[in-house]
Parts: sequence; structure tokens; C-alpha cells
Amino acid sequence: MFGYVRPFKPYMRVYEYDIYKAVYCGLCKDMGRRYGFFTRFTLSYDLTFLALMDMAVKGDKLCAQPQRCIAHPLRKKLCATCKNDLGYSSAAAIILIYHKLKDDISDKGFSGKLAALAALPFFKGAYKKAAAGYPELAPQIEKAMQLQRELERDKTPGIDRACEPTALMMMAVFGGLSAEQEEKRQLERFGYLLGRFIYITDALDDLNDDYRSGSYNPLLRAYGLEKGERIPREKLRAIRQFSNVSVNLTLGELSEVYVRLELKGFKDILDNIIYLGLKNVYTAVRTGKFHNRSKKGAHIDE
Amino acid sequence: MNDPYKVLGVSPNASDDEIRRAYKELVKRYHPDQYQGNPLADVAEEKMQQINEAFDYIMTQRRGGGYTNSYNGGANPYSSGGYSYGGTQNSYDHTGYGYDSAQIRQLLQSGSVTKAEQMLNTVPQNMRDAEWFFLMGSVCYKRGWLNDAYNNFVNANRMDPTNTEYASAVNQMNRQRGGYMNMGGSPMRGAGRSADMNTACNCCSDLICADCCCECMGGDLIPCC
Repeated sequence: MFGYVRPFKPYMRVYEYDIYKAVYCGLCKDMGRRYGFFTRFTLSYDLTFLALMDMAVKGDKLCAQPQRCIAHPLRKKLCATCKNDLGYSSAAAIILIYHKLKDDISDKGFSGKLAALAALPFFKGAYKKAAAGYPELAPQIEKAMQLQRELERDKTPGIDRACEPTALMMMAVFGGLSAEQEEKRQLERFGYLLGRFIYITDALDDLNDDYRSGSYNPLLRAYGLEKGERIPREKLRAIRQFSNVSVNLTLGELSEVYVRLELKGFKDILDNIIYLGLKNVYTAVRTGKFHNRSKKGAHIDE
Repeated sequence: MNDPYKVLGVSPNASDDEIRRAYKELVKRYHPDQYQGNPLADVAEEKMQQINEAFDYIMTQRRGGGYTNSYNGGANPYSSGGYSYGGTQNSYDHTGYGYDSAQIRQLLQSGSVTKAEQMLNTVPQNMRDAEWFFLMGSVCYKRGWLNDAYNNFVNANRMDPTNTEYASAVNQMNRQRGGYMNMGGSPMRGAGRSADMNTACNCCSDLICADCCCECMGGDLIPCC
């Protein structure tokens, strides 16, 4: 959905990277198989992380084989096969994307609206199918989106409150990974905190754009900024400081919850994402090196 | 009411800490748990109530609050048995005014966060003491509202720096947020992997390098190689 949850590649072992890519490709194919060709272009790193967590929680082994793929038509790529049940992750992806598109229609600029309007029909059927497959997930996401709209309308101050919808969304998504009560509770907490991280990072990432367009952004709101050309320097520094504190609190708590999860595989890759990837993404966003281009990046760059 | 200072057995010019200590001592002695099945149970309970009232009275007086007639209506915080939320403070520390902190702690422990928050919100602004902020912080923390939780804990700690429970809540959050960032240092360092460049190995290889350089120039830094 946002692409902020990704591994830090320089510190991945080669085979870990291969596994990661195999899951990514497998998920992409799974979405294509279940929900139609067009949905494949929306896959992001966050959902690959979800798929990895899913397999780690359940203790599934990766079952991959070289396959051809539309993004790499010439070379066969290692790709997780249907033996790995990626159904939950692809359904979650569809549900999240559908709501994101609907959200875009209501609050993006003209071109954003148009793009979302054009894409939405492809997702309508897919969404219905995905929502029917996981009946408890879709309503929770819908509720969170509703809350998001209310927050934006009221221009709610307070970073905790502003994070709530995204956090609740991720809470629902990760909670769905387990049916066992205690484990579900832990995963929900994990998801909640991850959602918080995603939202704060996203708010920081969009800071300048939101300031120019006057859109709601809790970080701007916290410092009494509404709309303008350039954010004053000292305010910008204060905002960064504030978001650092918030992100550090969140990630500190997240890693506390994470170490208590019982993961049966992919530990090194997941560790990389949690301990290095998130931090690295945040640093890149803060220093302005995290380009918006990679936000929507549909495929792993080589 | 009897002279509250007499009930607690302290002099009227004793410090807050002394009073608190005396109060805890008495609570320990007359705690209903110790009189279970004992014929003196009702006497102990009466005594307990007197102690609570006296303590509340003194503390409210000292805070300059004009509110004296709404103790928790005999709702003895100790009758609910041993709760141990937070774990660092014993359950005798009853310093809540106008709200039943024991009940809120119990709600928090059983996971009824919304209920606990509702109860806390009914406490008027000017009666929010250190414990109130601590409890509010716990509510936020349970909910995942970490920023608010942190601010509330800090507030509680500032209002009552002697309380170890509040201090440890702040410390824990500070440790956590520091802990994550130090886990890998800068992004160029690994998490638990030996990719750290500042190891002893590195120091040796630097020395050897320096030695080579010296030898090139005709000198020698490490004579044996």
C-alpha cells in the first residue's frame, strides 16, 4: 500500500534476497490468478512482508520453482508456487487497494481522481471476491477508512489519534494471521504499531506536498501550519524532531512485540525488515532520499 | 472524625513522606487479608476505614483542596484483593482523590481500557494528580497511543518524582525508544551480524596496514612482521 515496509538490501544474504523475491513473485502471480491480471500491478513490499509473516506464523516452508513472468519475460525467475497458500495476503492486498482507490477519488487532485476512477472498475469484482473470502477483514478496514475520512474532515490534532485509522487497519490485517487467541492479540498489537510507523512515515514523506496543497497532515497541524509555499526552517526542524521521537517510540515498542512473536521461519529476512529496513526507510524519508517513485513501484528493481 | 494525625500516629508537622510511610505501615497491619476468618475482622475493617479517611483527609488538606466529603463512599480499595498492576509498587499506595484508582488498575489489567478511560475522564481537571496521569498513560499505552502515553508518564513523574512506579514507566519508554535505534546503529551496521567495522579485528588490520606503510618508507612499526 505504501511500500515503507521493506528489507534493507545491502544487508541481505543473497539467498535471503532470492527467497524474498520468490515470495514477491509468488504473491504477484497469486493475485493475478485469483483476481485478474490488472490487480498484479498494485503489489507492494508491505504485502510481501505480510505474506512472509503469514508463512512464518504458520510455519510454512517456501516451495518455489523457476517460472516465467510478465515482468521478466526472458529469464525464468524463482517464484513461490500455489503450494504456498498466499490467499490471505492477496485478499488483504485487494481489500486495502480498493479502499485506497476509493479514498483517492474523494481527496486526491484531478489527475489522481482520474487515475483512481479508471482503475476502480477493475477492482470492484476482485474486491467483492476477496471480501467474501475473508468476511471479518473487509468490514474492519471499511470502518477504519470511515474513521480516516472523519479525521481528515475534522482536521484532528494529536498524532496518536491521527495514526489510529491506519494502525487499526494494519491491526485487522495482521490479526487475521492467527486464529489462536493469545497469538492473535500479539499480532494485532504488532500490526497496530506497524500501522503507526507507516502513517507517521507517510505524513513526513508528504509534508511538503501537503503544505503546498493545504491538505490535512497531523505533523503540520501539530505545529500550527496550514498552507503555504515553503515550510519555515525552524518549524521543519521541530517537525522532524517530533516525528523522530514518535517513530522511535513506535519502533521501540514494535521490536519489543516482535521478539515475543513465535515465528517458525524466515527469521533472518523478517529481522532485516524490522531492525534495518524500517529504520532505513525512515531515515531515507527524513533526509528526502525516499523518492515517491518507489512508493508505487510495482516491481523489485534489480 | 478523630484527629486524623492521631489515627495515623504522626505529629501534625510530619512531612508528606512520613505520613505516607506511617499510613503504609498501618495498612499492612490492619489489612483485611490478614484477618480473614478472624473474629477481629470487623474491628480491623473499621480501623482500616479510619486510616483511609484520615490519610485522605490529611493529603487533601495539604494539597489545599477544599474537597473533604467525598471519600470513596466506604469503597475500600483493599477489599478487592491483591492487584499488582505495574508490579513495582505495592497496592497500599492509595493516593487517588475522587476516583477509585484500585478499580481503574483492575480494569486496566483485565483489558477494559475504554471503561478505565471513561472513569478517568470523569475526574475534574483540578483533581488530576500524579497517579491520574500515570493511569491515563497506562490507558494510552495499552491502546498503542505511545506519544500520549509518554507525555502522561512524564507528567506523573514530574508531579511525584519520588514514586518509583512512575519513574520506571518513563525509564522503560526511554529505554525502548533508545534501544531500537541503537540496535543497528546507523543503517550501515548490521543487526546482530558481525558487520560492525569497529571490532578488534579491524584494529589489528589497521596496525598491519600502518606497518606495511612504514616498511615501504624504510621504517618499521611492528618489528616481528
